[in-house]
Amino acid sequence: MTPALAPVLRFLRTRPYAFALVLAIVLLIANIIAQPAFANPSNWDETLAIFAPFAIAAFASTPAIMSGGGGIDISIGPLMTVIDMVIVADLLPHGLGSPWIVVPVCLAFGAGVGAINGTLVTVLRFQPVVATLCMNFILTGLATQIEGSSTPQGSTWWTNDLASSFGPIPGGLISIAVVLLIWFGLSRTAFLRNLYATGGDDAAAFSAGVDVTRVRILAYTTGGLFAGIGGLALMAVLKEGEASDATMYTLIALAAVALGGTAFNGKRGSLIGTLCGAACMYLITNVLSAARVPDTWSDAVYGGLLLVAVIFGAGLANATQARTA
Amino acid sequence: MTTISAARQLTSRHHVADLQRRFPLVQVVALIVLYLIGAATVPGWTAHSTLMSMLVMAALLGLAGAGQTIVVLGGGIDFSVGAFITAGGVFITELPSVDHWPVWAAIVFALAVGALGGALNGVISDRFRIEPLVVTLGVGALLSGVLTGWVSGAVNGTPPSWTSSAVSVTAGTFGIPIPPIVSIWIVLAVVAGIVLARTRAGRSLYLNGTNPVAAKRALVRTRWTWTAGFIVSALLATFAGMLLAGDGGGNLGAGDPYLFQALTAVIVGGTMFGGRGDYWRTVLGALILTVVTYLLDAHNYSTGVQEIVYGLLIMIVVAMYGRERRIRDRV
Repeated sequence: MTPALAPVLRFLRTRPYAFALVLAIVLLIANIIAQPAFANPSNWDETLAIFAPFAIAAFASTPAIMSGGGGIDISIGPLMTVIDMVIVADLLPHGLGSPWIVVPVCLAFGAGVGAINGTLVTVLRFQPVVATLCMNFILTGLATQIEGSSTPQGSTWWTNDLASSFGPIPGGLISIAVVLLIWFGLSRTAFLRNLYATGGDDAAAFSAGVDVTRVRILAYTTGGLFAGIGGLALMAVLKEGEASDATMYTLIALAAVALGGTAFNGKRGSLIGTLCGAACMYLITNVLSAARVPDTWSDAVYGGLLLVAVIFGAGLANATQARTA
Repeated sequence: MTTISAARQLTSRHHVADLQRRFPLVQVVALIVLYLIGAATVPGWTAHSTLMSMLVMAALLGLAGAGQTIVVLGGGIDFSVGAFITAGGVFITELPSVDHWPVWAAIVFALAVGALGGALNGVISDRFRIEPLVVTLGVGALLSGVLTGWVSGAVNGTPPSWTSSAVSVTAGTFGIPIPPIVSIWIVLAVVAGIVLARTRAGRSLYLNGTNPVAAKRALVRTRWTWTAGFIVSALLATFAGMLLAGDGGGNLGAGDPYLFQALTAVIVGGTMFGGRGDYWRTVLGALILTVVTYLLDAHNYSTGVQEIVYGLLIMIVVAMYGRERRIRDRV
């Protein structure tokens, strides 16, 4: 390691999200240069509304990963799709479109699925991949079942506002802010500290009196709750139920989490990092489409980014270990 | 008296659990019961053609799940299986008929891409200690993305005719009335069974999956074993993809359903992460899944219900004996 790089590396190690933040700013500038209309405030509503489901899918994937023990939730994508589908195909056509009905139903459904995942992982002691794979199957099946032969469509006044703006405030910003506020609220409680402790070393946390089972169930439940909000944001933008995109959301979400400096072994992570990571993923697709790279290459870009992000993140973690060892 | 009978009960329960661990009893019984239900409720279930078409489906599933079994036994997981199946199908469809490559060159090229991708999976996850789930997800997306970009969204051309006769239900193998792909599957199952149980490579794999630290102390070349597992998985998936091309599999996304179905076959068969199981269990798992799918199909259940049933099947089998240790036992 060259001495000149040492302070930079130290800075990145202590703030794992810094890399994603810098990259996001660079990409933002690149976007504005490539398409000056991007900076025009009249486009912000739409940009944020499209960005919100990506960002929230990534948020929803973060707590499970941070809970350690191989924790991961690969059912977030299908969960958001099912919630989108339930609103469009079941609630709206039956006159249940009031936000006082839709929002609680979405949140309860998301949190409920998350709690089942958490229970499978902790109480029944399934491997997290296997537990959430089952859930992935069940939710995908449910989405296909609800979708039927035609793609259901629908929207209502407040979901249209969510896809554009409530007065001066962009709707996408609101759904992202709600998730961040919930997380901020949790950070005032012991839960988040216990989550970090559990992710770092579950056996040590258990010995220190942390109720590891409860913390992990809560982590998956929180992820499911976020996915509920994400499903709402997804529905607002799509205005239809599409069962086939679920895998793509899982992929983008995991890439964003990795890029944002959250380690997949649970030892490091933050929601702010995930936000920066999601911004990077979104902005990079935008730059590419502005540079007239065909849409057909987007999967290759996502996959490549995921690999680069995890290798970079692992490089940082290993450097830290080498120093402390 | 009560203590003795309780003790006796305990031992008999212990014996059943022990038997289940050595031999997939529940799965065998389930397969037979499901097949009999089919025979009783579905007309034409026992006909030769139905049986053969079931076996063809099970064989494709079994070939796709062979590599996954090896990776899972080694303690990893491979989420790029679907992409490699797609790659095999796309290469064998596109290269000979559109780009006028000789067929052997297309096969060699497809397998080379498979080997390279598998090596990438193994090396990155080993060298940087990253969860194989994430690495293989990335490699899989990268590969299928490059394929999509390369053919600009849609595959043209037709696969060579031998691929469709290989998966044809009515075709025979050297005069025996069994479709060629089923014969290939039987050969693979025998070879995989012998390699896993009787060779040094197989034992290294089990040891590495059970306890990598102990494996290293026992002079197992752990890194090579780990990476080789991923390479074999990718090669087998690519091979399965080439055969699948004859069954309408020569398009983008053709391999995607096989990723989760093959993984389900592995888990339902009773192979668990880290050195518990063998390929014969995956064969059993593939047969169970096939019979379940045909049964649901015959009773007009949609694909949605089928997926839900897959999810529940995994849950039941894993709850039976695939569970992790309690945290209080690891302190």
